[in-house]
Amino acid sequence: MRNQILCLSLAGLAVAAGCSKSTPTNNGGSGPVASGSTPTFSLAWSEYPSWSVFGVAHEKGIIDGAEGKRGPIEEKWGVDIVLKEADYDTCLTYYGSSETDAVCITNMDTLAPSLSRASVAILPTSTSVGADACIAAGIDNLDGLKGKPTYGLEMSVSQYCFERNLELQGKTIADYPFKNMDPGAAAQAMQTNQAEIESIMVWNPFVLQTLRTRDGAKVIFDSSTIPEEIIDMVVIGKDALAKEGGEAFAGAVVEAFYEINKMMADSATGDETLIAIGQKFSSLELADMKEVVKQTRFYGTPDEALALLTSEKFQNETMPQVSSFCESHGIVASKPTVGFNKDDAQFNFTTKFVEAAKAK
Amino acid sequence: MIRQPVQLRTRIVISALSILAMFVAYEAIAMRQSRINPKQTVVPGITSIWDGIQKMTTPNSRGETWLVEDVKATYGRLLLGLGLGIGLSIVIGVAMGAYPWVEAFFVPAVSFFAKIPPTAMLAVYFVLFGTKTEMFVAMVGLSVFFTLAQSIYQVAKKDVTDHSVFKAYSLGATSLEVIYEVLWKQILPRVIESIRLQIGPAMVFLIAAEYVVGDVGIGYRIRIQSRILNMNVVYIYLVMLGGSGLLMDWSLTQLRRKLCPWFGE
Repeated sequence: MRNQILCLSLAGLAVAAGCSKSTPTNNGGSGPVASGSTPTFSLAWSEYPSWSVFGVAHEKGIIDGAEGKRGPIEEKWGVDIVLKEADYDTCLTYYGSSETDAVCITNMDTLAPSLSRASVAILPTSTSVGADACIAAGIDNLDGLKGKPTYGLEMSVSQYCFERNLELQGKTIADYPFKNMDPGAAAQAMQTNQAEIESIMVWNPFVLQTLRTRDGAKVIFDSSTIPEEIIDMVVIGKDALAKEGGEAFAGAVVEAFYEINKMMADSATGDETLIAIGQKFSSLELADMKEVVKQTRFYGTPDEALALLTSEKFQNETMPQVSSFCESHGIVASKPTVGFNKDDAQFNFTTKFVEAAKAK
Repeated sequence: MIRQPVQLRTRIVISALSILAMFVAYEAIAMRQSRINPKQTVVPGITSIWDGIQKMTTPNSRGETWLVEDVKATYGRLLLGLGLGIGLSIVIGVAMGAYPWVEAFFVPAVSFFAKIPPTAMLAVYFVLFGTKTEMFVAMVGLSVFFTLAQSIYQVAKKDVTDHSVFKAYSLGATSLEVIYEVLWKQILPRVIESIRLQIGPAMVFLIAAEYVVGDVGIGYRIRIQSRILNMNVVYIYLVMLGGSGLLMDWSLTQLRRKLCPWFGE
């Protein structure tokens, strides 16, 4: 009896923390035979527009996320990619404990694990241009928000975006309290008209969902004021990259990403691909998904990715700013060294694999 | 031969060895992880746990100490919730055991809700109780109430024979006297035992709720700190949870022994 209750409540915990799902199983498509000598690498991903791309790549059969099975891209590169789908926070733990070789993660969240596991960003996938928003009900502007708590996930891109916007508008951060709450729960509280939750800072799909569900909910500001500061990426451990086949794995991941992007750009397959991406992402419909990919702008081609990675502003302003934020908020005890095409940096952005994809 | 008794001294030595074994096993796992990655913080060695202790006991810039704030918040919510839940379930449970019409009224709701983990209906708690202390207290209180009311009414009904009830009536007792002197006193040790078994689940629900909506508390701290891989802090909180659970368990067993010595072990 007691065990049953514990089990149930653990299940409840999992539900509450965000629905986590197990690794996707075989899609029944092409089934190349497993080979003992093929190096195997894992990629942990969570549901997010530009990361669900990998789930879709598996569904479309261009890669096979099951262990021991390979799709055409994996055959070409001679690696076996194992996809591990989990809740975002769980992905961070997987990566930090070396349970996965690569992970879908934001630039900000990479700083903390890179202190203990040297990390290489191989591919920027998207940037938030409005996908993170501060939504209030019954408050019209920033002045009205003064002194009232905003609820969102502490020590995350939400808090970063919140404080950056205050800074840009010349406000004192201390005047705008930020209180911790899971974004899903905060959105739920706002949507059920909780009196004490007047303002929340959340990401998509909660932004769209809340604006649609709660009458009078209004965006006070969003991440469109800080384009290319919140970057969604694929990061691989330096240790994994150095293993035999590590670079081939990175190449295969990058190619799979651009393949799906080509499908999205193609008018014949675009809508269908977008629906596939949106399917598990809060089951948003096509019209909503079109809005979502505007707010989460994809780096759909190698050129767009290179433009970001070689941008002076990103290298010399954004990343130092993000590092300082992490240090002052206790996310990291000391700043890791961040480099661009610098192999000895603890957190290295490399253009190598994107350039290789471009050269093809 | 089974059940061969051991001397107290031997027993203490064996228990001490078991605790030592836990430490050795932990350190072994930590060392194995460190061989994979020397800078890992996921299973920190026992020495770096000390850093964690300092982090949680040093006041921050706002003069708040994590440990103090979190312990006050979590145990405050727990005790308040337990108090309300236990009080209510004793009143309703005993009434259900004593009066079949009360039983008929409460049984459907009580036995139904006893099976639903409150964390799975967090949204309902939001709507009913908001997102502040009231919600945590309600969650603990109600999770305890439904299960405990059910077990109390069952012992009140089954463990007290009709024989002793009617005997008390024929000796001239009023209904209230029968309930207090006969029914309550006989079921008290079982009630304490049921309460003891409810503390674990109540704590699990509370931590899960804090994990999602808390801005202070043990569940909140565990989530935020594990997100940035400060596991040395997380593990101390886990040890604390284990320790406080043991302490509450032991206190209730002692209370039962003191209040109901006739009940035996």
